[in-house]
Amino acid sequence: MSSNRVGIAAAVITTSAFAALVSTPLKAQDLAAPLAFYEIETKYIFGFTEGSGVGLEGEKELSSDTIARFGKRDGQYAATETKWEFEYTPNQYVQLELGPLTASHYIRDVTDLDNRNTFRPSGFFGEFRYLLVDRPASPVAATISFEPVYRRVDETSGVPVQNFEFETKLQADVELVKNRLYGAVNLIYEPETTRTAEGTWEHESTLGFTAALAVRPTPTLVIGAELDYYRHYDSLGPNRFTGDALFLGPTLYYKFARKWFVTAAWNAQIWGREIETGNHLNLEEFSRQRAKLKVAVEF
Amino acid sequence: MLKTCMLVAAVMSCCLTSSAARAQDTTLSLAIQGGRFQPAELRAPANKPFTISIKNGDAKPVEFESVSLRVEKVIAPRSQGTVRIRALSPGRYEFFDDFNQSNRGAVVVQ
Repeated sequence: MSSNRVGIAAAVITTSAFAALVSTPLKAQDLAAPLAFYEIETKYIFGFTEGSGVGLEGEKELSSDTIARFGKRDGQYAATETKWEFEYTPNQYVQLELGPLTASHYIRDVTDLDNRNTFRPSGFFGEFRYLLVDRPASPVAATISFEPVYRRVDETSGVPVQNFEFETKLQADVELVKNRLYGAVNLIYEPETTRTAEGTWEHESTLGFTAALAVRPTPTLVIGAELDYYRHYDSLGPNRFTGDALFLGPTLYYKFARKWFVTAAWNAQIWGREIETGNHLNLEEFSRQRAKLKVAVEF
Repeated sequence: MLKTCMLVAAVMSCCLTSSAARAQDTTLSLAIQGGRFQPAELRAPANKPFTISIKNGDAKPVEFESVSLRVEKVIAPRSQGTVRIRALSPGRYEFFDDFNQSNRGAVVVQ
């Protein structure tokens, strides 16, 4: 079985199982509602790039959010990380998220990585989002988020570690054509520190800039494309640059029912470099391809 | 002890001021009759929080919802509910009944 198949199967199984548990069937009232282009929450319509939306006051959401990474320089590589999220909007400015993480790794004959085939609980995360600027006060809406993450499994290799990450993200979006065409950018700073199995501490960080465009051909469907650029450092600040990567791919958001939606994205690394080796594409810190699948129910 | 008393007085003062301010907030009345918002358009002052009092006169529940106002509230049949809205800049903010999406309205903030 190829690494891609394993990764895709893991992502589909986890999200489908969760969807089956939480989904509500499409009701007659959903079908009876006339379809029209009304306002839409922008947070999840851009794929990996996030919109500025912080939800509705009092709204809660359960979701599974899987990110899968495929392909290294050689061998077979597929890894997934799933957030089992509980999301809550306590007021009109703030959104909170938290939940456990699970991870899977299928690694065969990849240089510098041990072979493994595992699926296990891997940590916890929390997120605080604050709406900085909203429409129509400004044509651009912006939100800042802080996301502490604890992992007991290394994201890339699957090796047991103690990893602490603190992602800060600025998410801005604009409605280019009312209720039909949207654009978004994210600025990301993701420092992390890891205690290895040998007891040493390693520091690294990632800086990211992502941009996405999304069009809404039908009231319940949003499709688009995104371009994501990441720089990796072997330090908490931007000191020891090790390489960068540029990803491009399509995005999809589909609202199945009144409170139920799925968002998906697939990216391929179209350009990258490893400073140490001079290799084309950065497959040391990043993967050849990555995919995202999130299934959510609001209540 | 004096510091504690002053702190308590300050907190109580803030609470009372807040309650008084809230009592003076604009309250907009909205009714649902025959599956329609009445009136379909409300007007609210800019840059001041306000409250929408929603009276559902129908025999079906209503979910008052708005992406731009960032609120949702289910109102049971033949009952009443309120939603408090943050201070808004001038503009048009749409709302709808999520149980009957053809029922729509807007708050015009000016």
